[in-house]
Amino acid sequence: MIWATSEPVTVFCDLADGRSAALARVSVRVDATAGTLVVTGPNGEALNWPLSSLRTVPDQANDAQLVLTTTDRALARLTVSDPGLIQTIRARASRLKEKPPVRGRARVFGWAGAAVASVFLIVFVLVPVMADQLARVLPPKGEEALGTATLEQIQSALSEEFVPLDFCTAPRGMAAMDRMLDTIGGNDLDLPYPITVSVLDHSMVNAFALPGGQVVFFRGMLDTAENPDEIAAVLAHEIGHVAARDPTRIALRSAGSLGVLGLLFGDFAGGAVVLFLVEQMIQADYSREAEAAADAYGITLLQDADVDPGALGDLFQKLLDEFGDATGIAAHFMSHPALGDRIENARAAGAGLARTRQVISDDDWTALRAICD
Amino acid sequence: MAATNLYTDFIGKRGRIFRMAFGMGVLSVLTVGFYRFWMKTRLRRYYWSSIRPGGQPLEYVGDPLEKLLGFFIAVVILAFYIGVVNLILMFASFSLFEGNTAAYFVSFIGVIPLWFYARYRARRYVLARTRWRGIRFGVDPAAWGYAWRAMVYWALTIASGTLLWPLMSYRLEKYRIDRTWYGDRAFKQGGNARMLIKGMIPLWAVIAMGAAAGVAAFFTEDIESALGLGLLSVPLLGIAWGWYAVRSFRVLTATKTAGAITFRSGARAPRVIGIYVLGYGLAAILTAIAGALVSFLYLALMFAGNDMSFSLDDLDNLSAPGIALQIIGFAIYFLVFVVWATLRHAFVTLPIWRHYAETLEIIGSESLHDIRQRDRDEHREAEGFAEALDLGAAI
Repeated sequence: MIWATSEPVTVFCDLADGRSAALARVSVRVDATAGTLVVTGPNGEALNWPLSSLRTVPDQANDAQLVLTTTDRALARLTVSDPGLIQTIRARASRLKEKPPVRGRARVFGWAGAAVASVFLIVFVLVPVMADQLARVLPPKGEEALGTATLEQIQSALSEEFVPLDFCTAPRGMAAMDRMLDTIGGNDLDLPYPITVSVLDHSMVNAFALPGGQVVFFRGMLDTAENPDEIAAVLAHEIGHVAARDPTRIALRSAGSLGVLGLLFGDFAGGAVVLFLVEQMIQADYSREAEAAADAYGITLLQDADVDPGALGDLFQKLLDEFGDATGIAAHFMSHPALGDRIENARAAGAGLARTRQVISDDDWTALRAICD
Repeated sequence: MAATNLYTDFIGKRGRIFRMAFGMGVLSVLTVGFYRFWMKTRLRRYYWSSIRPGGQPLEYVGDPLEKLLGFFIAVVILAFYIGVVNLILMFASFSLFEGNTAAYFVSFIGVIPLWFYARYRARRYVLARTRWRGIRFGVDPAAWGYAWRAMVYWALTIASGTLLWPLMSYRLEKYRIDRTWYGDRAFKQGGNARMLIKGMIPLWAVIAMGAAAGVAAFFTEDIESALGLGLLSVPLLGIAWGWYAVRSFRVLTATKTAGAITFRSGARAPRVIGIYVLGYGLAAILTAIAGALVSFLYLALMFAGNDMSFSLDDLDNLSAPGIALQIIGFAIYFLVFVVWATLRHAFVTLPIWRHYAETLEIIGSESLHDIRQRDRDEHREAEGFAEALDLGAAI
């Protein structure tokens, strides 16, 4: 070991004392017995820094130098270039890599709490409350425009290619869908805008309503249903959401919360994905009351048209059997508790009807299922 | 007595920055972005210590926790603004204009002053945490004054069809520099806006060419050649812009003073433009190769997971079975971004910093002896606003 064999080596180093920008050329040696680093200035004045007070400045680009500081004088910087002295210091100063004590940890936790609380408050309280109020006073024309804009976003978000997702528009299928809408009274409602039904060419088993009277089915829903009554039941349920302006609320809510979540997650390595996922979770969130109201509205529409509302229960049952209550490919229907209750409600409403008919003819049903071909 | 002219050397190594950026980038992903405050701090320490005017390294003493704190403070303030204001704008836009363009426009305009404010505050924070020869740099707090001036000069620049751009560059630089300190020594930006005009000439020439082509196309209705000229002018515009940026940096550096100390920069536009073009090109190519490679491996893994042999026909029906494979899929997606950011450090940021550092000269360094320490600028919210508004820039 270098320091034990001979007289302590004295070498010259640069000292920035942290008070002036002038550098001092100082002579430095390790006093092993006293356990100090002795730094002697150009005029002979000596500083004694205990070896245990020495710290290195981390992440330095120059591996050949050691930049030292001392807890006695945190602003001072001593640059050591002599390999022998570096080795000696590394061997003798035991706390070189110790970090300064963390200050203000409580304050960081405090503000972290405040940030989480304010985001929660804004995303889950303030924005929803405001969205509910604003949805009531949004003019119908504005609602329709909001629906169109939202649909375009969904079309591009779900697309796996560069072009937006296509609508299914086979003429006979469209006509069949229109007859279904007409049968359940969807064309004679007292709404500020007509109900428009469209089918998107995607395998997801889902349907949803958008602001401004739009109801959108995915092809997967048509493929899964066993008879047209099930589709009619879903349609009636979605019209219930339209009548209650539920989608308008959700769309306004997402307009407010999207930016806030973007703020929180930042753009670390393509945070857009995280953003999209979180946003999806918020999207599917109609309240339990809103779902029950839409069920009730739909059941009334079906009863008035002599169509069996039990079909809604049948479809729910099928989804339940296929996917279970918790996991949701049909997240829109599945995300709500008490699906069992809703099945029973729908079936009970159907049981009271004296006579029922199929909502559209078998031919129309075949045409509707082929709407995407 | 030390030499009165200090030259700057740069000792950062590409391999080291590559390893640091990659490892810490992965950590940032694993911690849903929170490690980025530590990553930024460590990368800055490395970059700063690589720059050595007169052989003495710069030192970055910023603290990751204060960055995290600043980010939280900014979130508390901005969450309200972004959530509530955007919702009201969206509502008003759909009510009055039946579309969301108006909302996006107003929302964008509303963020601009915040953007300049955040930029100034971030610069103040970074310089307050920078030391050289043990002495702190500092910037006076004047962010709102900067924000409105920047808005006015930008408006003038746009209204004048870029003719007043040199005026904007000069005045904003002067505003920043005249509030910048090294210890107790104030910086001064001398000169005037006219000295930047010469550097704008290539840019104006390209703009004039594009405008002439547009007018010609309008009268002759020859859309194809107009389109051709348009496509040609985009890279030319980039080169002319780079030319202006480097030249004005050089001119503005030569007219800065700190007491008796003056500066000289020999930064060269062709070199800077070359680094950007080649560096980004190389980074893009390598990222694409890495992305293709891991995607291919992932596909193979999925075929194996589905007990299928590889075939192109089955590609459409392929889904990731099991949560493990889905997580791997996500990991690969994020990995591509990390690779891109890492390569950008190695092939763009580091070479650019090297060039600007190695061409910088400090004249009259004997005057350094009179400079005394300045007090610490606590600057509680650090660069939180810039962080929250995604103005992170390179590091």
